[in-house]
Amino acid sequence: MLDEGDRIVEVGPGALGQFGPQVGSVVWDCYPGSKPLFKPYYDSARRTGDEIEFVQFYDGHVARVRAVPRENRHLELYWEHLAHLDTLTIGSFVDSLEQSLEVLEGASTENDRSELRKALRVIEGGSA
Amino acid sequence: MTVPALDALRSALPVSYVVLDADDRITHVSSPLHDDLGRWLGHVLWDHLPGAREVYGPAFALARASGEPVETIVFYSGRVKRLVVIPAEDGLAVHVERLAELDVTSLVTLRLSLERIERALAGRGSAQLDSRARASLQALP
Repeated sequence: MLDEGDRIVEVGPGALGQFGPQVGSVVWDCYPGSKPLFKPYYDSARRTGDEIEFVQFYDGHVARVRAVPRENRHLELYWEHLAHLDTLTIGSFVDSLEQSLEVLEGASTENDRSELRKALRVIEGGSA
Repeated sequence: MTVPALDALRSALPVSYVVLDADDRITHVSSPLHDDLGRWLGHVLWDHLPGAREVYGPAFALARASGEPVETIVFYSGRVKRLVVIPAEDGLAVHVERLAELDVTSLVTLRLSLERIERALAGRGSAQLDSRARASLQALP
């Protein structure tokens, strides 16, 4: 659960291992580079009062995120892991990237798909 | 101590390298790498680098079989590296230079890092590439 300043104020039992030590911290400080990827969705949920669900790529992982507005502009967040990049070898990287991009292709916004296409052009040998 | 191998290396390699015996056991770690790799002295390299044998192993085997130095480019653990392997009677000296690495923070950073890798590889045209690196060149031109 985030407060209106995006500070982690509560963590469910299933997420304690990852987020428990970060209670009290602003989520963007804990996860560098994540703010532009997630905050627009959180702002939208708070603005409309409606829950929002989206799929996002961050830190090598693809996750489905559900943000549910609560009282006092708090946000309850639920995460479902969908895929991750395995960068150990070139083979595992290419395979896992294809899997991750397939997941994103089915669920992402037009902006996501645009970046996806740019990445793919580089990977496939064309210019970005 | 593998003195002849080290003598051969000092003139040919940067200061950061390790020496392996015939079983790929680490027998020497140069001083700049002591903090990172010194604790692995006497250990088989592959025991600490999962999946690395298929990446580095072919270059080691080629250097041992030919008796000649091998330079190649490999991809391992999110990084593109230049690998220089020099065989000697008493060991195999291995130097790894990081050229570029993936940034998986977002799709944008991933794309940009792929482009950096492309530029890094473009500047290394003289290096022979192993099969995995050839695959990486197709994937990460």
